[in-house]
Amino acid sequence: MSASEREQSTRAQLLLALETSCDDTCAAVLDGPRVLANTISSQAAAHAQFGGVVPEVASRHHLELAAPVVEAALGEAGATLDDVGSVAVTAGPGLIGALLVGVSTAKAIAAPRRLPLIPIDHLQGHVAANFLEPEPLQPPFLCLLASGGHTLLAAVRDHAGHEVLGQTLDDAAGEAFDKVARLLGLGYPGGPALEKLAREGDPAAFEMPVAMSRDPGLDFSFSGLKTALVYLCRDLGPDGVNERRADLAASFQAAAVGQLVAKLERALKRGDWQAVALGGGVAANGPLREAAREACERNGATLKLVGLELCTDNAAMIGSAARFAEPIPYPDYLAYDAFATKPAADGPIRQRIVDVS
Amino acid sequence: MVGFDTATADTAVCSTRGGMAMHEERLGLGPDGSPRHSTALLVEVERAAAAVGGWGAVDRIAVGLGPGSFVGIRIAIATARGLAASTGLPVTGVCTLDAVGHAAGEAVGPARPCLAVLDARRGEAFAALYSSDGSRLWEPFVAAPAELADRVGALPQPPLAAGSGAIRFRDELASRDVEVPGDADPVHRVAARHLCALAEAGAGVVGDPLDPIYLRPPDAQRWRERNDVKTTE
Ligand SMILES: [Zn+2]
Repeated sequence: MSASEREQSTRAQLLLALETSCDDTCAAVLDGPRVLANTISSQAAAHAQFGGVVPEVASRHHLELAAPVVEAALGEAGATLDDVGSVAVTAGPGLIGALLVGVSTAKAIAAPRRLPLIPIDHLQGHVAANFLEPEPLQPPFLCLLASGGHTLLAAVRDHAGHEVLGQTLDDAAGEAFDKVARLLGLGYPGGPALEKLAREGDPAAFEMPVAMSRDPGLDFSFSGLKTALVYLCRDLGPDGVNERRADLAASFQAAAVGQLVAKLERALKRGDWQAVALGGGVAANGPLREAAREACERNGATLKLVGLELCTDNAAMIGSAARFAEPIPYPDYLAYDAFATKPAADGPIRQRIVDVS
Repeated sequence: MVGFDTATADTAVCSTRGGMAMHEERLGLGPDGSPRHSTALLVEVERAAAAVGGWGAVDRIAVGLGPGSFVGIRIAIATARGLAASTGLPVTGVCTLDAVGHAAGEAVGPARPCLAVLDARRGEAFAALYSSDGSRLWEPFVAAPAELADRVGALPQPPLAAGSGAIRFRDELASRDVEVPGDADPVHRVAARHLCALAEAGAGVVGDPLDPIYLRPPDAQRWRERNDVKTTE
């Protein structure tokens, strides 16, 4: 079949989406709001020895995994590229070397078939995870995103975008969880292990700095909390830390969750919000879910939680955002470039970029 | 055949028919001083394919696997794999040093060996040595210029050196009687038609995995040390 015949094909209605902004290589196939395949190849094990995502290691893995993950997603959806009518890809923000693998792959898949390309903002992708079947959430709603790469509170008034109400001024929430987990010898990624350990500890055992409590805005800060833990561990010494690991974990978690939910509640009180959505890997945290639910109840809103596979980085959310974004027709996207950070006008989003080549 | 390479500062693209270059383009740094790999590569590749009658008329893709810029190598290989998935065409991976060596061999004739040298940044060079008949005498390696000069100095006959690294380390190489053509000589830049010629001759790696030729592990150790400092400050 020639490219022009493919263009005419009425079967070509599926959407292929790619996401490679951090350390997961993801591809998804969507039929409208229905997710036919959502394939994720996590590199967590490759980064465990470094206690965090090493950009060059991530980029190398993305290159190895991108094509197989696309193939796996198409296979799982029972589809071929002949059934695909458009290609969506995360264009940024994220690790530039990692993003370039996804954008190069997506453009090269789309171009010979003359398919349109739909570049997607990664954070809008997290927001759009809530638009997917089986229970799509209708805007307006408040969205709290917390992961290893970002922490922000967004007002979602329509399907096409979001307004950032507040964001972290330093570390991301998940980054703080990972660093503290590492201090406590819990490995990487440390969130789930830290939560488990915290269940055996006293959340009031250690006094934690209450970050940004007097700041009337909706921004977050986690570096003070992390530094406090570093000093506490230093003062306690290795034996002391070992003895009080659970208390340290519980105290840190309570402070981190407390800050996230305090800002969420402040935003709830400022507007007439009926619904709240949680996203990002930290949304898997039980105490955060519980505290967010209570905050919603106190303010007459309902809490919406998508499945964990849609909370952490995935390509289905990118495909979901693409349904409400402007496609770029062939050949206008051939020179399209990935971006590491948003333009300064949109406010600072801290990226962990290390040029190693 | 459509071939391309973005392992160096250049974006090199070519389409050939029966070994003849039908369309060839080589773009240097963009106006901002950085390579144009991510913005120019696919534009030129589509032009090259159109010049031979569109993707339907192409029967193979050739791609430079490096060594060179890590980001550049990945853009080229990700593009090649994406095109292959989209068109069903086979891909041949070619070592970028081989393409430089091939070009230098053509320029110098069968008289003597050719040393392909690419700037590896951080004061080092990627290099490989080719005999007058084009076969590899040294496998690709990464080395400091002094070490490279010592190895070259031990050769029975000084080679001709080509590539961005030959310009960068001209003094070190010249001290061992290596001939390095003038900076502006095209022999120093990757030409995609040599990539296609090597792929045509069956020199490269066929099909998957099109393993990138990094020659250097990720600099994770340095990153880890930096991260430790950050955590404990
Ligand atoms: Zn994310």
